[in-house]
Amino acid sequence: MYTASSKPTKSQTARRHFLKRLGVLGVVSAAAPVLLSVARGADKKSTGIKSDAVSSKHRWGLLIDTSKCASGCDACVRGCHAEHGISSTGNDHTDAQWIRKIDLQDNLTGTLSSLPMMCQHCKTAPCVDVCPTGASFKRADGIVLVNKHTCIGCRYCVLACPYKARSFIHEPITDQQSWAPRGKGTVESCTLCVHRVDAEEDQQPACAVACTNEAHSAILFGDLNDAESEISLAIEQGQAHEVRSDLHLNTGVRYIDL
Amino acid sequence: MLVFVLSWSGVVEFGFAGDTKTPVIPKGKGDHCVAETDYMRRNHMDLLVHQRDETVIRGIRDEPFSLVECVDCHVQRDAENTPIRVDAKEQFCESCHAFVAVKIDCFGCHAAVPDVASVENAGRAHEYESAENNSARNIQWIPHKQLLSFKQENMVSQKKTYYRNHNVHSLIKTN
Repeated sequence: MYTASSKPTKSQTARRHFLKRLGVLGVVSAAAPVLLSVARGADKKSTGIKSDAVSSKHRWGLLIDTSKCASGCDACVRGCHAEHGISSTGNDHTDAQWIRKIDLQDNLTGTLSSLPMMCQHCKTAPCVDVCPTGASFKRADGIVLVNKHTCIGCRYCVLACPYKARSFIHEPITDQQSWAPRGKGTVESCTLCVHRVDAEEDQQPACAVACTNEAHSAILFGDLNDAESEISLAIEQGQAHEVRSDLHLNTGVRYIDL
Repeated sequence: MLVFVLSWSGVVEFGFAGDTKTPVIPKGKGDHCVAETDYMRRNHMDLLVHQRDETVIRGIRDEPFSLVECVDCHVQRDAENTPIRVDAKEQFCESCHAFVAVKIDCFGCHAAVPDVASVENAGRAHEYESAENNSARNIQWIPHKQLLSFKQENMVSQKKTYYRNHNVHSLIKTN
């Protein structure tokens, strides 16, 4: 230890020079990633995929017309499973269900209706509230997702969801699609085909495409923040109902004729 | 730290002198990676962690450090041109990771072989099988506790019996 007035010894000077050199090295290494990223800009592939972050300008949702949904048809379920590489493990009581087809009967009138039930992409989602790690989250554009990198598989969200929309994966999976990572020990549910939503404008989720292919067109993808979209118009006219509206979750998936 | 970095570069670039067997890393597609090889060796994990958060949370997909692209370039193929998983023994990821005794978690969830389609042409909704073959997958509602008590072997018949006997909430379709 020496004071400011004392003259440094020869070894101390050498140490200072060494530290200076180390400092310069540090600056160079810190700048290296920046330089690299500039260099990378030149050969960055243009894939036509949106590269800007999602914003709350849109709030994506589905409008499901149950009068067009046919009992016994499960095209949306198959479409979803094909899209996300979901196959049966042989244990059908633990198989993942991103969409379920439900048939309802009104006890008073006997009226039958059929509808697909999936993640309702709530604005105030109970699964997001209860998640201890923040893995269950809502994207800026209203899509509720599981960040499987931080999901610990506790399944609180599975219990919290009033729609039974979430599945836990019990067994190892090896044949994933590259755009739909899925694995043992994590929870998953409908992603509103987020990879398609991000890929291009006007992309429909697989369930909606499948439903249209079956000539039912009961599922319509739309933007709740766009006052001109069909889903917004249906909500405005009081036709598009929430399932369990008593919970005030402000769901992104709405049903007509329910 | 400096000592660690120097020793690490020694391992990868020059190999250990003597009897230690260094990993043989298969060559990837193309001339070069998305960044300098030395940089990638030391920082690929940080790039991937950064990219995964950007993609999952913020929806930014047009970035060069996606795992899908790693797999696309670094996958090897067998004699029948079938892709070999990059996390298989002696493949690109595993050869080095086995040497340094670091377990890879990526491929528990992510595809370890390139897909025929990638994000550009994602969406295979046209490939559905016919509706008749898939009536079994028309998933129906059963109370969870009841479901757990079913025995595996005669699951289907028990389900049907349950549907007939318990018209719970009229939610159940009997067939």
